[in-house]
Amino acid sequence: MLQKLFRISNPKGVMGLNKRNIELIYAHNRREDYHLADDKVRSKEILHDKAISCAETYAVITNIKDIKKMWAKCEKHQAMAIKPSNGFGGEGIKILKKDEQDNWISSGRKISEDEIFRHITSIISGLYSMSSNDSCLIEECIVPHPFFAEIYGDGVPDFRVITLKNKPIMAMLRMPTSKSDGKANLHQNGVGIGVDMEKGTLTQVYDGKRYTQHHPDNPAIILGKNIPFWNEIMALSIATSKAFPLNFLGIDVVIDRKKGPQIMEVNVRSGLGIQLVNKRGLEEAIAEHF
Amino acid sequence: MNSNSYFRITIMAILFFALVSVLLKGLTIRKHLDNFYAEEVYNITYKYFFKTNEGKTFVRAFLPKNNNRQRITAEAFEGSKGLIFEKRNDKNNLKGVWLSDQEHKFKSIDYSFTFEGKSKTISIPDSFKSPTAKYNNFLEASEYIESNDSQIDSVAKSLIVNAENDKQKIKLIFNFVYEIPKAPIITLTDAVTVLQQNRASCNGKSRLFVALARNLGYPARIKGGIILEEIDKRTSHVWAEININDEWVPFDALNKHFAHLPANYLELYEGDEFLITRTPNISFDYTYEIKQRSNIPFLKASVSDVSEIVPLTLLGLVEKKIISKSALMLLLMLPIGGLLVAFLRNVVGLRTFGVFLPVLIAFSLQETGYVTGMLLFVFLILFVGVISRPFSKLGLLHTPKLVISLSLMVLVMIMGSYIGLKANIMWLTAFTFFPTIILTISAERFSTLILEDGFQKATGTLFQTLIAVSFCYFMLSSQWLSSITMLFPEFLLVIVILAMLLGRYIGLRWTELIRFRSILNAKTI
Repeated sequence: MLQKLFRISNPKGVMGLNKRNIELIYAHNRREDYHLADDKVRSKEILHDKAISCAETYAVITNIKDIKKMWAKCEKHQAMAIKPSNGFGGEGIKILKKDEQDNWISSGRKISEDEIFRHITSIISGLYSMSSNDSCLIEECIVPHPFFAEIYGDGVPDFRVITLKNKPIMAMLRMPTSKSDGKANLHQNGVGIGVDMEKGTLTQVYDGKRYTQHHPDNPAIILGKNIPFWNEIMALSIATSKAFPLNFLGIDVVIDRKKGPQIMEVNVRSGLGIQLVNKRGLEEAIAEHF
Repeated sequence: MNSNSYFRITIMAILFFALVSVLLKGLTIRKHLDNFYAEEVYNITYKYFFKTNEGKTFVRAFLPKNNNRQRITAEAFEGSKGLIFEKRNDKNNLKGVWLSDQEHKFKSIDYSFTFEGKSKTISIPDSFKSPTAKYNNFLEASEYIESNDSQIDSVAKSLIVNAENDKQKIKLIFNFVYEIPKAPIITLTDAVTVLQQNRASCNGKSRLFVALARNLGYPARIKGGIILEEIDKRTSHVWAEININDEWVPFDALNKHFAHLPANYLELYEGDEFLITRTPNISFDYTYEIKQRSNIPFLKASVSDVSEIVPLTLLGLVEKKIISKSALMLLLMLPIGGLLVAFLRNVVGLRTFGVFLPVLIAFSLQETGYVTGMLLFVFLILFVGVISRPFSKLGLLHTPKLVISLSLMVLVMIMGSYIGLKANIMWLTAFTFFPTIILTISAERFSTLILEDGFQKATGTLFQTLIAVSFCYFMLSSQWLSSITMLFPEFLLVIVILAMLLGRYIGLRWTELIRFRSILNAKTI
């Protein structure tokens, strides 16, 4: 009876959280290096250092007294993203865009400079980071490549590439849906789309329960659809994994309309849902590469 | 691998140390093993003082006897000179009789013994066999139990109008007597007077209960004794017994024990008697000195304090009152509970609020009772989660917001207790048993979880926390476990070993079997 409970047939080498923690995260990442990935300002410094494409940093604000001075440097841009350096789950991120009269627009409504300053102040005071202070990152706003709009037009879709010892071992495309409020996370009603890493094509769509061959808001079949810049995405992921001392990483990549693939962020604790999206276990994928 | 052998050596070393220590202790303990399994142990002393009169002066009191739920040991009598002490059997009861010939002298009696008691719960069938003739005298009316009185008769008949079986009838008369308001009446109250006054203490209620039972044809009798508590008291207690299928079943309609006798009830006599009888018109005073003793169910209590016979236990700390038993239990059970939660999280895959919250909540439930406690816990989490929501929208910093939630939590707890006190709702006063700070953090986590992951996932986590709490509760309720941990603090080393093994568990969690079922079982694809 106990034997049955513990000896489960696992032909595809599915990896659970226990094994991920012990054999991937703890074994390949040193605790003192976690902050390099967790802190967006730190990770962008590393990326800029190694000349890896990512959104241009307009400003990093760490002191409330610097807000006005730093804002003056950013004002000239047409669009930007304001993020907490140590936020999680997308909390505290504001996208600003100018309209024809040069007013700032955020989430579909006008936003005054005062409101922007207040938002930056709350980021610096640690409102989104569960700590007493944080840095505010102001960076270039990425415009998704038309490839994504062919599948679904709203929100910010991205690729998640998992790397182990500088080798990409599994990837998926995360897309928002009409039900997910612009978010691409699987547990927030986004969908995951499997990626055939050899061919650089999409495979099946997984919505958390069922597999289909198309995005829930678009009947077009995506199976076999080519991903633009795939080789560049792979090269960028490898370069990123080499730039960080962390050997097991979840790298988020977006494709900008003009600049091509860009690194969005890197994660130490990569989720395991990617196995379901690709119908494949991480252990099997790792065994293939090592 | 180097780290593997290091791991094994560490485990072996700790295990060896723990085993040797337990084994050595076990050898000592073996001599004192006991299969009575008492739940509570008390030392009781009857203390009587009186001044003798002309001629012979006597004092009589019932003495306890052994039965299947109480054991009396270490009986001792000390008294003033010139007192003659003898024991007499009086029907099924045992009486102590103290006699003196000396006139106008002050005398004192110290009669002491050790009581080991177990609680008794009897499940009674729906219908009873009709009683045999040998119980006939338990059906007859007596001076204070007027079971044939017309008032008793009409009340009994009206109570059972809708009853379908014997058990329901007993339940109905029990509830009727229980509902009669309590009053501290020290004078003798007979059954009919209780009906007329509609208030009574234990003796009145018991007589009325017995009268109603007899009226309905159930053999019943009064039982007398003392409810043991760690105080000196003068009040004795009476309850009732009904004979159901040749078994005497206890009922205490004052304290609402239906077919149940708690472990701290000292049984002294049966029948409508007085605990003490004496020569009339003498100066007389008395008290019962009661001391509770720490108790290990499977060790003989009579020998001496357990800490003296078993080396290296924590019982000494409790016996010398350096730390209270419940505080010590909390300390010892925390690691066990933590291990259980670790198992539930890493092997089963439950999501819980914090690691130690389930253990601490389970501790609070020991005070409040399982159902009440669970409901109060859910209520506190939900209510504080909801009322602190408006403050979340103000965009406040995390720590001050936590202070607000904490204040609201304390406010709710105090209000609940206050209303409970005013309205005499006991379960409401139980709020203060909960670990406030940890509960606040959980409520806070719960409300942020709702924002981050949606209501469904947040309630899912809450529900899984409740499952973990239940497991911890039932584990903590085991008196055996608590005794063993006190006797063998070495178990903490075993916990360390188990946690080390658990810490290396890399198998799939049971919930992951469900999550990944579509790619685990090749057949479904």
